[in-house]
Amino acid sequence: MRGTMRRLKILTWVVGTSFLLILPWLIPTRMHVAVIALYYAILASSWALLAGYGGQFSFAHMAFAGLGAYTAGLIDKFIRLTTAPTYACTEFPLGSWWLVIQDTASPTCLEKAKATMPMGALIVKLPAWMDILMGVVVGGLFGLLIGALVLRLRRTYLALFTIAFAEILRTAINAERDITGGPGGLKLSPLFPNGVTLLGHEFTAADKLPPYLVMLGLFLLVMALMYWLAGSRFGLFIRAIREDEEAAGSLGVDVVRYKILLFTITAMIAAAAGGMYAHYVRVIAPNMMVIKEMSVVIAMAVIGGMESLLGAAIGAIIIEFALEQLRSNITIGAFTLNMADWRLVVFGALLMITLRFWGNGLIHPIIQRITRRGVAEETVAKRLQPRAATEPEDDTRVKIPASPLEPDP
Amino acid sequence: MEFPTIFWYTVLWLIVWGAVGALVTPRVYARKDKFTYQTGMLGAFVGAALGPIGLILLWRLTPAVSAKWLGASGIVVLLWLALAFAKAAPNNLCVTNGSFIATQIANGLVIGAIYGLMALGLTLIFSILGIVSFAHGEFYMLGGMVTYYATQIWFPNLNPLLGVLIAALFTFALGAIFELLFLRPMITGQIERPGEYAILVTFGLAFFLQYTTLSLVGASPKKVPRFFDYPRWKLPAETGGLLKVTPGNLTFFDAISIPSARFTALIIALVLLFVLLYFLYRTWTGKALRAVSQDRQAAAVTGINPKRMNTLAFALGGMLAGISGAALVQVFSWVPWVGIPASSRSFVIIVLGGMGSLPGAFIGGLILGVVEALGAGCVPDPHRAAAYLPAYGMIILVLVLLLKPTGLFGREL
Repeated sequence: MRGTMRRLKILTWVVGTSFLLILPWLIPTRMHVAVIALYYAILASSWALLAGYGGQFSFAHMAFAGLGAYTAGLIDKFIRLTTAPTYACTEFPLGSWWLVIQDTASPTCLEKAKATMPMGALIVKLPAWMDILMGVVVGGLFGLLIGALVLRLRRTYLALFTIAFAEILRTAINAERDITGGPGGLKLSPLFPNGVTLLGHEFTAADKLPPYLVMLGLFLLVMALMYWLAGSRFGLFIRAIREDEEAAGSLGVDVVRYKILLFTITAMIAAAAGGMYAHYVRVIAPNMMVIKEMSVVIAMAVIGGMESLLGAAIGAIIIEFALEQLRSNITIGAFTLNMADWRLVVFGALLMITLRFWGNGLIHPIIQRITRRGVAEETVAKRLQPRAATEPEDDTRVKIPASPLEPDP
Repeated sequence: MEFPTIFWYTVLWLIVWGAVGALVTPRVYARKDKFTYQTGMLGAFVGAALGPIGLILLWRLTPAVSAKWLGASGIVVLLWLALAFAKAAPNNLCVTNGSFIATQIANGLVIGAIYGLMALGLTLIFSILGIVSFAHGEFYMLGGMVTYYATQIWFPNLNPLLGVLIAALFTFALGAIFELLFLRPMITGQIERPGEYAILVTFGLAFFLQYTTLSLVGASPKKVPRFFDYPRWKLPAETGGLLKVTPGNLTFFDAISIPSARFTALIIALVLLFVLLYFLYRTWTGKALRAVSQDRQAAAVTGINPKRMNTLAFALGGMLAGISGAALVQVFSWVPWVGIPASSRSFVIIVLGGMGSLPGAFIGGLILGVVEALGAGCVPDPHRAAAYLPAYGMIILVLVLLLKPTGLFGREL
């Protein structure tokens, strides 16, 4: 019985992964949408872990993605590594390298320093993975601070606070034009500035396949991490907290600490997705953090199924493709519907209706039906077996079940 | 213009000693076996106001916490801030020009009254239904939009007050319909997790309303001319030293100037506030509403139908936001996402005033209005000052959550 389930799970993973791997050859012209869909899938499923498993409703998930993206972008814009000191910018020795910061007070210091630097001195940007990592750290720090401030209160406070925080962060980035470029956006270098060679094929920096594979790798990594978390003691604790905070606390779960931990982890995942996205699209604007984006992510998670990480991810991928399909205007007689706006109305209505009538989402029940096929019958059949075969008849003592919070031996 | 560092050092000094006070004071009170309730807040205030000397005195004397001590030390903190600001930016209008500050504060109070009215709607919903409506800003936006269409497009030359009335009816009906369709199932047990559902479904409503409005009316800003032009008038008749009225402006005492559009909005807000208070405290339905907010079961026993009260509260709350929007549509230009900052503002206000407290919401609105007006007027770089308008509320929110999460008038959590 457990063996079948296990095999089914492995099968799902293998089939899903190989499908996503061959997707580029199925839809070579829509690779951009595929990358963006994976980006949303990471965000929606990590939001589902936070809200569906943990019951903590944050509206700042896109803000964390934006923090990751802007941290990566600002490092890309302002920080360089050189092999020789510049004596003009703010700089710190770092082994045999120097970490150079060109701040807004001296934007051209590096240009000036080039004349005085020895021949052959290198000036390079940090590699993309390093600024994405820094973005993750910054996202995690903000998650920790906000969590420590708000998560000891009732759950509405988190929603209230994060919605305000997201708005402020966006206005701040809009206002600080000198640093962030404001609404005009911030340019980044591509994920692979010098191109990359895969299986003997040369890809340039503009090709979509390498970023797709990297995004896919991040997606699979995040999914594996989240499934591992959800299946561990940690997952048990956060589900207990969602069901009943007081009860979980009285059974010895450090409620606030686990809530903060969960919030920080999902913030870091969002920041990682944001950093990757920034290096892929190469121009980021504060618009990536508007409430609309957050609403779309929530709609994806809810329609996919908030209580299932896989459901939320599939929901995100389907909805992103659907949103792209629905872009073209519809003309009925003399009346033209501007679908760029109306499609969002459709998803808003779908979000509300799904919440009202299918609390588990639309995709999660289908997954359940497939993966749990036959489980009910099997359980019933097991119950119907004569008990004498398994238990001695004279044992009439009441069995106290092991505490649900203890790990299996 | 670079803002001098003396101000930031002062702020840092206040924060450091405030934090020391907040963290250590409860322990000192506990060791002396005294009541520790709210001593963290007192410690923070005294630490920020008087630094180490004040803290040592506080720990020696350990007086009982009272509003007197809190208020006095709070005022000293504000004085320090003002002093540091004056020292740092001696040429700022806020320092050199008293009438400018008075005008800013007066305008802040006027706008704050309307914020308060809007937050009153949100707090009414919270006290009866126990949920926070994340679509509150969208009711505000729709109130303004409907007023614009009623008075400018559908019926030109309509009396603006009738436009406000139409907006009120529209938002009331919308609130009632939404409550019946989506929130009623929560109390009849058709929804598995009502608390989580309420957050998401109202958020979904906000998204839906925003994009429906955008699709229907477009993104271009709408502007409504001021509702009423006031007749020219002076008091005393020759000099106008007390009050000078022109069609677009009112000047009190030759110093405080309030645009007449804002003044009209204030009058609407005050009238509505008194009508609301009369309704809540003098009519049967209003008393029934307050009874439900105090104890659902007991109210039901006395013959009040709590389900109908839920619908009424949500519709009324939406209507209050709608009227606030209708009153302000003549002051600001109107776009479909004008509700987003407005709803964050209401959230700040209800947390500041205390969740579910009606007077708290109104007073919180006034406080936020003044803080925003001073922030917008006094921050040296005018471009930034306007851009950071929502951030001033955020600072208040963080301070309240740190020091007194129950808010000014909140019930204990």
